[in-house]
Formats: sequence, C-alpha cells, structure tokens
Amino acid sequence: MNPEFARNLWLELTPRRVVLMLAILGLIFAASAIGGGGAEPAETATWIYYLIVVVWGARSAALSVVGEIRERTWDGQRLSALGAATMVWGKLFGATIYNWLGGLICLGPMLVNLVAKDGIATAGIEICFYIGLGVIAQSAALLASLIAINRRSRHTQLGIALYQSFGIAAAVAAYLVWNVADPQTLLRGHLVVVDVIAWWGVSLDAKLFLLLSLIVFAAWLLVGCVRTMRVELKQPNGPFVWLGFLAFMGIYVAGFDAWLSPDLKGWDAVSLRLLLAGTTFVALTYVMVLLEPKDRVLYRWMGEQALGGRIGRALGAFQCWMMSYVAAALVTAALCFSLTHDAHAAAGQALALATLGFLTRDTAIFVLMQTLPGRRRGDWRAIAILFALYLLIPAIVSGMSGQGAMVLFYPQAQTPSWLGAGAAWVEGLLVAVLATTRLALSGSAGRRVAV
Amino acid sequence: MAVRTADSRTSMIDVEDLVYEYPASRALSGVSLHVAAGTITALVGPNGAGKTTLLRCLAALDDPFSGRVSIDGLDTVASPREIHARLGYLPDFYGLYDELSVRRCLTYAALAHGIASGLTAAAVEKAAQRVGLLDRLETRAGELSRGSRQRLAIGQSIVHEPKVLLLDEPAAGLDPQARRDLSTLLLQLRDAGMTLLVSSHILAELEDYCSEMIIIEGGRIAGGKAIKVRDDGRPRYLIELATARSDLRDFLAARGAEVADADQIHAVILFTRNPGARAKLLRELIAAGFEVASFGESTKALEDAYFAQVGRS
Repeated sequence: MNPEFARNLWLELTPRRVVLMLAILGLIFAASAIGGGGAEPAETATWIYYLIVVVWGARSAALSVVGEIRERTWDGQRLSALGAATMVWGKLFGATIYNWLGGLICLGPMLVNLVAKDGIATAGIEICFYIGLGVIAQSAALLASLIAINRRSRHTQLGIALYQSFGIAAAVAAYLVWNVADPQTLLRGHLVVVDVIAWWGVSLDAKLFLLLSLIVFAAWLLVGCVRTMRVELKQPNGPFVWLGFLAFMGIYVAGFDAWLSPDLKGWDAVSLRLLLAGTTFVALTYVMVLLEPKDRVLYRWMGEQALGGRIGRALGAFQCWMMSYVAAALVTAALCFSLTHDAHAAAGQALALATLGFLTRDTAIFVLMQTLPGRRRGDWRAIAILFALYLLIPAIVSGMSGQGAMVLFYPQAQTPSWLGAGAAWVEGLLVAVLATTRLALSGSAGRRVAV
Repeated sequence: MAVRTADSRTSMIDVEDLVYEYPASRALSGVSLHVAAGTITALVGPNGAGKTTLLRCLAALDDPFSGRVSIDGLDTVASPREIHARLGYLPDFYGLYDELSVRRCLTYAALAHGIASGLTAAAVEKAAQRVGLLDRLETRAGELSRGSRQRLAIGQSIVHEPKVLLLDEPAAGLDPQARRDLSTLLLQLRDAGMTLLVSSHILAELEDYCSEMIIIEGGRIAGGKAIKVRDDGRPRYLIELATARSDLRDFLAARGAEVADADQIHAVILFTRNPGARAKLLRELIAAGFEVASFGESTKALEDAYFAQVGRS
C-alpha cells in the first residue's frame, strides 16, 4: 500500500471518528426521513455530500501538505523515497479519506433514489459525476496549496480558505459544465443548454464534447499537482509537460473560431485561430507570472548561466510564464504574417504587436516588484500598478478628453495604429531593462551582505 | 582552501566552493570542505553563521547558487533523490505525528524510505532498539518526553540505515541525562559505520562525541581547515608552565607530540595514551628545565580548539 495513504488512514480513520461520522449521518438521515421538513433523505444526502466531500474535502486536501509544513514534518517527507505521483495520490485520497467515508455513506441514499428515478445506467453515470466532482474540488485545492508552497507563502487561515475556495470554484465550474451538457438536471431552467458545439469547423454533440473536456481538464489538474509536487521533491520537471499543455490549450481554444464576433469575419480561419491561440497564451502568461515564484536568485542564476555560455542550462530553468510568453510571441509573429493577406492587415498587426508589448511591460512589472524590499508583497504591488495603468489613470485621462493618450495604457484598434504598438514596446522594454538592472544590482548587494 | 577531516579515510561529504544566496543576502560564500567516512564532525559557529543553510544544501533540500556538493560521490543537484535515500536529516525544529504510536511513526518512515513491507518490522525494531525505544513502541509520540521525542526523530532518520546523518542542533533543550544518552547513541551510530555531521552553537554538547570540528562564521569556513579535536588513541593534553619558554612548541614536536596549539606558557598536544610514554615526556620536560605546573588530558578539547581557531582567524 502507498505509505502516505496508509499513514493518513492511521490518522484519519480512527474507530472513534468512524463511529462519530456514522452516528451523525445516521441521525441526519433519520431526522430527514421521519421528521420530514420538506426534504427527502436523498436530497438531504446530496447537500451533505457537497458539504463533506466538496467543501470540507477541499479544505482537507489543501491542508494535506500545508499541515505537514505547519507541523514541521514536511522536510522529512521531502527526504523520503516516495515519488511525486505516489505522494500526490497518497495525500489526495489519504488526507480526504474521512470525507470520502462520509461521502460514500451519503451516496447510498442518493444511488437508491437515482436508480428508482432514472434507471441503473443513468444512476451509475450520475454517481461517477458526483465522485468526479469531489476529486476535481480536492485536486484543485491541493494544486492551489502546492503552488502557494512553491511560492514560499505564509499559510495563514485566510490562505487555506483561499486554497479551499479554489477547489470549490473548480467544482462549481465542473457542475455548471455538466449541467449545460446534461439537460436532465435541477438547474436546466437557469442555464443556456446547447445541443451542438462547433469546434474546428465540425459540429459535435455538446454533451459528449463537454464531458470529454471535463475529463481532460481534470486530468491536467492532476498533472499540475504532480508537477508542483515534483518541484518540492527536487525532481526536475523539464519544459515538455508545460509545452504540451500550451499546445493542448492552443489547439483546444483555436477550435472555437466559429464563436468569434462577426466583426472579425473579415479575417481568414487561420488568422482567427491564431488570434484565439495567441490570446490563450497571453492569458496563461498572466496567470503563471502571477502564480509562479519570481525568485530573484533563480533569475540571477539564469543570467549567470546565459552569460557563461551555458544556454541549455538557462533554458532548462525556464518558468512556465516564460515559456507561455515565448509561445505568445511566436503566435503573434505568425498572426502578423498571416494577416499580410488581409486588406486591413496593418491595423490587426499593430494591435497584435501592441498586445505583446503590453504583455512584456506587465510581466516585467511583476518581476520588477520582486526586486524591491518586502518581496512577499511584490505581487500585490504589481496588481495595484496594473489596476492603475489599465483602469484608474485611463479613466482620469479620458475624463480630461485625452483620448489620444489611451495608446499608452492598452491596445487600441484605432489609427494611427503603429503608434500604439510603438508606445507599448517602448514601455515594455523600459520596464524590462529596469527589472533586469535591479536584478543584477540586487545580486551585487547580496554578495556584500554577510549573514 | 578546502576543509578536510580525517585525511586517511574515504571522503563521504565533499563541498567545493559552495555559494548559497537568499534574495537579499549571501548566506554561504565559497565554502569548501570534505568530511571523512565514519567520523562525527561538529559544525559550529554562532547563530546565523550559515550552519542550517549548509546542512540543507548537504541534504539536497536547497540548491546552491554555485559550487558543488556531493554525498557519497553523488551530486546534490543532479541526483537529489538518490542522495535522500542515502542520508538521514534531523532539522533543528522537527515535527512528529503525535497521534501515531512510536511503532507506526517508525513503520511509516521505513516504508516511505522504500524498505520492502516484509522487512519493515525488523527495520522498525532495530531502529527502536538503537534509540532505546523498544519498550515504548505502542506509546503515542505525543506522550513521549522531550528526550524520547528526540530519539524517535533520530530513529525515523536512521530507520533506512543511511550512510550519512545530518543533525541540526540535536541537543537543544535536552536535560543532562538525555544529552548523555544522545552522545552514546551518536557514538554507536558512528561505530555502526555512519558518517555524522552535527551542527550546534553550544560547544559543550558536542564535546562528548565529535572527533573533528568545522567552524563556520559569516557564511565562510573560519581558519580554512578542520580541527581534529578527538582521537581515542591520541587524546588531547593540556600542558601549562609556571615560567614562559619560547621553545615549548619545538621541544614537544621534537618528541613526537602533535602540537594543536601552543604559546610560551600553554600547549595543547595530541599524544599517545600510553602512560609510560607520557611519563617519559614529562620527565624530559622537567629535565630540560621546563617548570611544568600541570600536565593532563584536556576536558574541553573542542572548546579550546574553537577559541584557539576563532581567536586567530
């Protein structure tokens, strides 16, 4: 048996706790069945299932590593012979085993009700969905906590609640997708239900497509958990899994070109798909530059490797946001080339280049903020600056009739189009140079400081 | 210059020009050292000197900025997981699973270190016997005394028979009896073939079991060399004169004594334990006109060596 799973069993499933869970759930179901109050036992069980497996389970999963850090046992686990995948499933299902005990008890009345209502085949699929929902919530919470651990964040109660919320949000998203694909649900009256989805020019059954998407994204979630765990266990990740994820996301999102606004229909299909893929890479760059630790020492190390001619080692240490940025840059270049066949090529090309310029500026701001004292607040400072740059200052400038100056703040489609791209790149390069200089100077300062 | 301990034996820990940086400071600056197999080496220095950072680099928990660290010939950056299998590490602030029994704590540690399930029970009993917890196997970890918790933590670190054991401030907070038990345990582990590196900023707690000492100050190795503080065949003796003599060092060296430290009044030497040889040396000193006020085994060998080194550097 997985040692980590076994240890969690010893800690979580003590006879006293098992009896307590059985007794409390038994009393709740008895009260629901006998006492009435408008709730059927199956309905009660469903809500309790969500509470125990999704809400509480997400917290248990988030605490599975954070708790080890708090109890100072994490270094011992990092030094063990357990691989990342073993550690992840040992924690994911071990730390939540008490939640699953309660969840399985709830699934009993839910299954009986579903079989009576929809037949055994549909009931089986529904039960799989409920179990999947729990796994998605818990693995998302575990992933959030692991990302925070990689960032060396402080694990306050608020932080743990945040990791838990991430898990709950993932479960809600999966629930909504499921209900869009499955009209036989309680929420069908409140959701837009589609029968067919157009993807890469092919009409696909919506239910099947969304369910497959759900499964694939849940699998990526687990891959993310294993990858972040590998970082903790000193197992090198290499770039290929993230590059694979980028390729998957690019291809997946590019397939939705038929959903784009009719305003862009002047573009050919290739350009539209490049636009979607590029936008995805830009979004992933923002997400990852926010989530990943922007370690000054790592960046200095990469700089020294590159300057020493060890390019391969420097590239091997590339973070996910850097790879996403490069992917965004490559797709932008491809889009600009693709648009040369378009009658309004210049406007589209300038807009794409301006977007990349602002992405350069914004990622450099995140790095720059980490070079200032109080690095734990660096991301908040960067977010505040971006909030000012994208919302507050443009609102003031706009109020002062300075529409022409908007090119300084975000990509503008209006002419003169190249001015916007130029302004974005000047800003981007200035901040990038400033961040690089600060990194180099902080390295020199570090060498002078004796501990 | 690399610090080398016990030159005649195979090197187990090799550190070459190790640099470790925190975002705003450099914690280790060009540290080089070699620790021989089968020794207990003290890593001493004031608080904040870089001891814990160095140990974490040795344990392949943190990557160096530059330089090379190898354990049993394996590089910590290239093969961290292989190194984890070869070493045990007890951090200064360690945790235990308080709700688990001693047996389950050790069983988990054994299984997590890859010991086959069929061999786990034997490994657990051996580790428990080594750390003196054989009669407490069913006791919850949370019910153990501080000294017993320390022994359990060491038991978890050695259950997989590591070649190297790194201990960060292992005696902190222990009472005298528990410290004595710890000394005995560490000597037994060394005799069983392990290489131990023990960090502390309290010299007295290292005195009983360390044979070599490495001093770290401000992220650098002080003095540039390891100091041999104990050799059971050649203990350290402190000689004190009533009247200063400038030729004390040369006189002792000429008679086969290894002079660790000397001035015109005092000398710390490594010399054979043989009573006849010691009596002969004493006779020769007196015959040569040295006014010997005292001649005895040094009971504070490590402390003497530390202050002699730090005072000079």
